[in-house]
Amino acid sequence: MTVELVARIQAGDVEAFETLYRQHSAKIYTLASRMAGSAEDGEDLLQEIFLQAYRKLGSFKGDSALGTWLYRLALNHCLDFVRSRQAKMNKLTETLDAETSFEPTARRETPIARLDLERAVERLPEGCREAFVLHDVEGFDHKEVANLLGIAEGTSKSQVFKARLKLRGLLGKR
Amino acid sequence: MHPNETTLNDYVDQSLGSAERSSVEQHLAACAECRQLVEDLRDVIRATRELEPREAPVRAWPRLERAIRLEQERADREPGPRGVVSGPARAGHYRAYATWLAAAAGLVLATMVGLRYMPARHVDAPPAATSTAAAPITANDAAQSIESELRQAESHYEKAIKGLEVIANSEQNELDPRTAATLQKNLAVIDQAISESRAAVRAQPASEPAQQSLIEGFKTKIGLLQDTVALINEMRKGNEAGAARIASGLKQKGT
Repeated sequence: MTVELVARIQAGDVEAFETLYRQHSAKIYTLASRMAGSAEDGEDLLQEIFLQAYRKLGSFKGDSALGTWLYRLALNHCLDFVRSRQAKMNKLTETLDAETSFEPTARRETPIARLDLERAVERLPEGCREAFVLHDVEGFDHKEVANLLGIAEGTSKSQVFKARLKLRGLLGKR
Repeated sequence: MHPNETTLNDYVDQSLGSAERSSVEQHLAACAECRQLVEDLRDVIRATRELEPREAPVRAWPRLERAIRLEQERADREPGPRGVVSGPARAGHYRAYATWLAAAAGLVLATMVGLRYMPARHVDAPPAATSTAAAPITANDAAQSIESELRQAESHYEKAIKGLEVIANSEQNELDPRTAATLQKNLAVIDQAISESRAAVRAQPASEPAQQSLIEGFKTKIGLLQDTVALINEMRKGNEAGAARIASGLKQKGT
């Protein structure tokens, strides 16, 4: 099935590519928009990732599942995006350092609503958001997160913790 | 004494050794503050695990399809390794129409990508590039540079908008009158916002909120025009369900 789909796409069948898009777009868009921290950037990344997939499909050898290949491509693209604006955002991470603390926040008595959490994740500062998304959402362990982001394992742990604290604050102050 | 953040983080992640874990548990039994923190962190982790995948916006596929058809057109014109394919696109009017759409989509995509990476490129510019000027960069230079980049971005957006407007206006008779009226109303609202933001930028060129507001205005307008073109495209293809989905989103914009 995959082989046939890839062959059709390589032969220029746009409908076959649409099938691939429909199968994987939600997962890729979810990753991209959460890593980027905005639906708008996520949409642009989605476009770029699938365009890149279209161009690179010729290099897909079938060593892994097509979904895995696409996910890896998407992850690398998102990481490139994140790195490209990382320097600009260093200042914000410093701000976060000052903001996060062990101080108890206002109590939240109701369960966390999904939409509130999505919005709060978008508001996480650069640096800790990527570590948080990769660890707590995408399920990578700290060693993998450290490798992907080019940081120390301890930094990954610390960033994830900061993100959780920040989310606690953002969600608790409702 | 409270456990440090790494220990508490490892505790909620269940990655502490048994000795450390029982030490934390002893502390938690006596410390309501840390107990509350651990409970809250667990809530956050639990809620995060339950997050569902997000659906990509409806307009994303039509945009991508147009960009791909543009790639195909390019590959047709310039056979070689650049394109994956050189297969025939659909013939006749749709092919010409798709080319128009693809060109507009490509322009918009390039503009978006260019602008999105613009600030980082600015920051990441190697020191050698700036030192060749052999003069210190003053705040005035920086402000002029930002202003010039903003003008460039503005010009890119305006080009993209013009391209989309050509398509949207020439094909607007494809839309039902109510949708066309809603579109015009929303465009007027966005144009007003752009005009106000532009005035704010002219008055205070270094104001980041004013710059962002102007860029947001352009992006919103492009998004609305893209949706319009996607809607027209879906109607041409006879995809009523797809057209209805886009039209419903179109009516919510600009309000």
